[in-house]
Amino acid sequence: MAQQRVEIKPGFEATAWRWMRYSGILLIPLAWFHVYLQDVFVGVHAIDINYVAARLDVLGWVLYDFFLLLFTFAHGMYGLRQVSFDFVHNEKTRRVLSILMLIFWLVVSVIGTIALFMGARPELA
Amino acid sequence: MAAPSTPLKNTLTGYIRYQGREGHYAFLLHRLTGLGTLLFLTIHILDTATVYFWPSLYEHAIAIYRHPVFMIGEIFLVFSVVYHGVNGLRIAVTDLWLPAKWGIKTQHSAVRATLGVSLVLWAPAAAWMFHSMLVHSFGINVFELIGLG
Repeated sequence: MAQQRVEIKPGFEATAWRWMRYSGILLIPLAWFHVYLQDVFVGVHAIDINYVAARLDVLGWVLYDFFLLLFTFAHGMYGLRQVSFDFVHNEKTRRVLSILMLIFWLVVSVIGTIALFMGARPELA
Repeated sequence: MAAPSTPLKNTLTGYIRYQGREGHYAFLLHRLTGLGTLLFLTIHILDTATVYFWPSLYEHAIAIYRHPVFMIGEIFLVFSVVYHGVNGLRIAVTDLWLPAKWGIKTQHSAVRATLGVSLVLWAPAAAWMFHSMLVHSFGINVFELIGLG
């Protein structure tokens, strides 16, 4: 089979392309363990604010969830950007969309990170 | 006169009409499971954040997740996360280390394998979650019914 070597221009898009693959591989153990543990073994009926509070009292879980939050949401938002570029070809619109998605990614990540490190407040529930 | 073609319309018709068989279905399923997971993930980050920002709201969010309709949705969410991971691994490994394996024949069987592996990983979890829904929403415990409870 004929093969063709293509020169890839280094830059943001090339780095992001690699990063999506490396983060994806890392997310397989991280996200699967989280989903099988919380959704399957523990189950939503055993989860309430006291459960979350007890979990977030353990630094190991806070760090685990922090890495999970960073990697999944960044991977997902960059994926959304790729999908949206399939539908939007105008360079200006693409730039506006990218900035909006970047802001959304940053805001949601910060909200999640604050909650993780501050922990649950079941006494206010 | 026919409606003018737009990137939106072109891309959508391409998504539907492209005849790439396994590659085509894997592409569509990868996008669907990715976007579905992202939608849930966004809601999940924000509703879980209420444990700190608005603790009285958290129990309402959990009550919604306990509804049988959402528990069925959760079963599909688990499939999405599993399939997106298995199929993503196929893409990442081929791209990064085995680019010569991007041939159509190899990839057709690789795509079938990803679907098989995903179903095998998902089925026990799906059965378990479905049973949990029967127990909590309808009081039906299969293990008790067959005398193992």
